[in-house]
Amino acid sequence: MTTFSRRDFIRAAGAMSALGALGYIPTGSAKGARVVVVGGGFGGAIAAKYIRMADPSIDVRLIDKNGEYVTCPLSNEVLGGERDISSLTFDYRGLVKNHGVRFVKTEISEIRADQKYVKDTGGSKYRYDKLILSPGIGFRWDAIEGYDEAATEQMPHAWKAGPQTVLLRKQLESMDDGGVFYIVAPPNPFRCPPGPYERAAQVAHYFKHHKPKSKIIILDAKDKFSKQGLFTQGWKTNYGDMIEWVSGAEGGIIEEVDPNTNTLIGQVDEFKADVANVIPPQKAATIAETAGLTNEKGWCPVDQRTFESTLHKDVHVIGDSAIAGKMPKSGYAANSQAKVCAQAVVAALNGDPAPEPSYVNTCYSIIAPKYGISVAAVYQLTDEGIMPVKGAGGLSSIEASPRTRALEVEYANGWFTSITSDMFT
Amino acid sequence: MRDRGLMIFAILAGFLLCGSATASDPRNPSMLGNTCAGCHGTNGASGGGAMPNIGGLDKLYLQEVLKQFKSGARDSTIMGRIMRGYSDLEINAIASFMARQEWVPASFSENSGQIAEGGKIHASSQCDTCHKNDGRFQNDYTPRLAGQWPEYLYNMLAIFHDIGSPASQPAEMRKRVQKLSQEEIEAVANFYAAQR
Repeated sequence: MTTFSRRDFIRAAGAMSALGALGYIPTGSAKGARVVVVGGGFGGAIAAKYIRMADPSIDVRLIDKNGEYVTCPLSNEVLGGERDISSLTFDYRGLVKNHGVRFVKTEISEIRADQKYVKDTGGSKYRYDKLILSPGIGFRWDAIEGYDEAATEQMPHAWKAGPQTVLLRKQLESMDDGGVFYIVAPPNPFRCPPGPYERAAQVAHYFKHHKPKSKIIILDAKDKFSKQGLFTQGWKTNYGDMIEWVSGAEGGIIEEVDPNTNTLIGQVDEFKADVANVIPPQKAATIAETAGLTNEKGWCPVDQRTFESTLHKDVHVIGDSAIAGKMPKSGYAANSQAKVCAQAVVAALNGDPAPEPSYVNTCYSIIAPKYGISVAAVYQLTDEGIMPVKGAGGLSSIEASPRTRALEVEYANGWFTSITSDMFT
Repeated sequence: MRDRGLMIFAILAGFLLCGSATASDPRNPSMLGNTCAGCHGTNGASGGGAMPNIGGLDKLYLQEVLKQFKSGARDSTIMGRIMRGYSDLEINAIASFMARQEWVPASFSENSGQIAEGGKIHASSQCDTCHKNDGRFQNDYTPRLAGQWPEYLYNMLAIFHDIGSPASQPAEMRKRVQKLSQEEIEAVANFYAAQR
């Protein structure tokens, strides 16, 4: 903390007294200011809505290449047969009607940070004072030999929910009892760290009731993974020995695939799959990369107070593409970052300083219909970036009662209902 | 107005006292409160199911409950882990923020028979000693029940019935809830949820 001047005191006191019912109330005038948000998922939809909630004088345009959004969270339940993809599908009408967000369905192909506009594939330009990018992830198509976009039709990644999820479900339905389902899990960092392991559990739930002689093998690039103790316990409790995990050190690293024969080729062994789900290594979305917003590791460095790119002024990056300190690449994290970014953008457009941020992450994983686990963290901004508050957060207890495990599934579903209402209504 | 003055004082006091703490400036109430919305909905109006509405609950009630989660005095699956991430002053700010929000009643498919049955239990089990006015009443130790989500009410009553929860209910309430069957608990949860 630096010195606290009398002017700061008056400003803080003024800001606080204006907080009242709404919290942050801008003190300047941003009338006519234009914000363009590209990407209408867990980050972008929230950023657009919360800017309008904080300052309705700001013109907010939300641009997404699809008119509908399919959530990745709970899409493993589609693979497990507990949910239909339609229950994960949302549109932007609520944001338009309730919050005056202007929605444009188009694909942005170019960002001109120097000229402050974005351009779509049709050549239309959208000018901005502040640009917020929430573009999700991109795949490293060069990382696993033979695994390119065409190969995803035979070996789906299903790591962006939608047709890929449905395709993988169909493959699992077509598989004979006694078959082997392989999941190739990516190295860090990647979207949804517990996702591959929840996926194994959800598919095991389906196999247990429909194909009990089948097996699931996770070939992992890593030697440990999110919620590992809880997953290992949950797999065993619910599915016995059906799920096997192979660490990177034990030969889990896959270097090449042959989609024609459904073969996964590791450093030592080859694995012949009946169904193969290859989740490739990841990086920031292509649009962020081509706009020059990524670093040498392929992710977007940002000022973690405002999420403004450190490479291009007035361009903010939130969600999976951004480097956000210790926060994981999750839907809840993107939601939380979007709200911090929205307040920073509103403040900047009003000539106010960026407020002190607060962030949270919560991730539920559903192992079986009455068996859920979670991890949570509360974050603050420090000199080392976004760090978890010590003594807070953490995992579900390894000794939790069956009642607690069942309640965590109810809360997972309740979380989903609330966060999607936060995004789309 | 008095609340607001206190809140300003509390936040500024925290600001001046924080010294070497890493998070330097006070975090404004909406910044703090918005972090709840991922689970509890925008401004604490839950999307439904097991997640309770918290926007529009009594400020002092919220303060007390959130601090009980933090200390572990009140059992939780996840709230304890989360509330330990906030100072008591920040918890007060979150409670004030949520208390100022509009209460948005649950919307769910209502079963009139169940609701009528629940209404009878509300009267005969003396729930209305505290949860007056069909559960609309609230103060610092009585949460509003009218318009709360039925699944949440059911889960809480089931916990009171099966295992008790000393921090979150008077002994008298536990005795009364324990006399109810599962169907009666469902009925009374639906009765309160349906009140506007």
